[in-house]
Amino acid sequence: MSTSEIDHLANCITTHAWNGDRSKVAISPNSNEVMIYTKKGNTFELEQILQEHDQVITSIDWAPKTNRIVTASQDRNAFVWNYEKNEWKPTLVILRINRAATYVKWSPLENKFAVASGAKCVSVCYFEEDSNWWISKHIKKHKSTVLKVDWHPNNCLLVTGSSDFKCRVFSAHIKVVDKELPRTVFGDKLVFGEPLLEMNASGWVHGVKWSPSGNLIAFASHDSSLCIANVSNLPPTIQKVNLRGLPIRDLLFLSENSLVGVGEDCNPLLFQSEGGNWAFVSEIDKKSEQAAASGDSAAGNARKLFASKVTLGAESVTDTKLETQHQNCITSIRALTAGAVVSDFSTVGLDGNLIVWHTKALEAKFKELKIK
Amino acid sequence: MASGSAAPAGGGGKQRNYLNCIRATLTAAMCLENFGSQQVERHNKPEVEVKGNKELLLNPIIIARNKEKVLIEGSINSLRVSVSIKKSDEIEVVLAKRFMRFLTQRAENFVILRRKPIEGYDISFLVTNTHTEKMYKHKLVDFIIQFMEDIDKEISDIRLSVNARARVVAQEYLREYQ
Repeated sequence: MSTSEIDHLANCITTHAWNGDRSKVAISPNSNEVMIYTKKGNTFELEQILQEHDQVITSIDWAPKTNRIVTASQDRNAFVWNYEKNEWKPTLVILRINRAATYVKWSPLENKFAVASGAKCVSVCYFEEDSNWWISKHIKKHKSTVLKVDWHPNNCLLVTGSSDFKCRVFSAHIKVVDKELPRTVFGDKLVFGEPLLEMNASGWVHGVKWSPSGNLIAFASHDSSLCIANVSNLPPTIQKVNLRGLPIRDLLFLSENSLVGVGEDCNPLLFQSEGGNWAFVSEIDKKSEQAAASGDSAAGNARKLFASKVTLGAESVTDTKLETQHQNCITSIRALTAGAVVSDFSTVGLDGNLIVWHTKALEAKFKELKIK
Repeated sequence: MASGSAAPAGGGGKQRNYLNCIRATLTAAMCLENFGSQQVERHNKPEVEVKGNKELLLNPIIIARNKEKVLIEGSINSLRVSVSIKKSDEIEVVLAKRFMRFLTQRAENFVILRRKPIEGYDISFLVTNTHTEKMYKHKLVDFIIQFMEDIDKEISDIRLSVNARARVVAQEYLREYQ
């Protein structure tokens, strides 16, 4: 079984989302359109293009159970799309923000979604039956653009990452939508929009994620570091892992002890915890030894040198293609299989590639990659 | 990133160290993302030019080696690199100015070149997230480093040829009076 499959779907992809049974994927090709591809055999076929936004779409999320797509764009709008009669129809969302929307995420029960925006607030939206539209409540208290949000498995807590160097946890409990108040480590009385926790980072917080149990928060910031906070007890214990390379943009927990970060290095990075101590394990996109050895030979290099001299006027051999499968920054990572341990995940990048990674095959090939 | 100047270690390959330092800083500073303006709705501006919000800007870094220096200003969606060329005599001052004017007048073809250099520098580049989305980041960094190497070579070549021509012209002219 191969370790990964690569598909070139567009020139540049900013974000993607899979549907419930993983037969379709919605991507934003760095424009104001959403392209929905269906998986036919080994390739992807373009099924539909959704055009409603005026400016570049920054984020898409697909609710697996209710089969609804929510899209957010820099034109400060968001739309919820419902699949009726073989077509996707948009529904109005009253976001009430006056700046770009940067990220959107459905809550685990899919009755709410949170939109992070440049208006320094997060809009938590829920459906109002009488007027047939989605209305929002604002979480303010941010000093700068909110870059990412993630929902706690209990459907009520929200962690946000912002360009004001902080990662915060808020209560997003809405009385009308959520029936009961869950018991959390932050207390029993949760008022909507109340900041429950604030953690400092040394750079813009690009990625935030709750672990599957909701006990850990991982946040990655622009100073090339990854912090994992254990919030099962307050005050939280925060561990910082410094990366060897460039910053991470998005995170995915494969299990409670394994975390994959993707970003500017164009390579998914695996982190694991040994009894609570998190550390970098390895890069996931590795060339096997035999492929690397057979690449270079003296004659081949000489030929490349003269070829580049003739065509480009270059004096030395420079490789334009990167060694990793992604040729440009990876922007988004999604789990393909649900369950306690994620065995497949997909990444998209600014190079326009959608790559599906299979961890079982990776574990078999490279001994160090063991997902716990 | 801390601000300050970094002087490379002595010994052979001083210019190599200087350029490697610039290369590492540029690779880190070129991590840009699409960012809608916080000041004006529906606008998307290079934050390093607008300088609207302090939290979106990175600390500027100056990497200097004797008279030549590079100023790298980063932000969340754009990067500005300003280069000050080493000019050892008056002729090189004039040549550098003319050469830079020649290039900046054709800034559109260069894509990442800024039409006006920053105060105190000879030439400036502005790289935005649209450039890093379309082009390879490592090739952009290669281009800027190559550009800096070539400029020095070109200017010294031109100066030598100016001196050579001046000598030939003087010889021909004064032959009359021999």
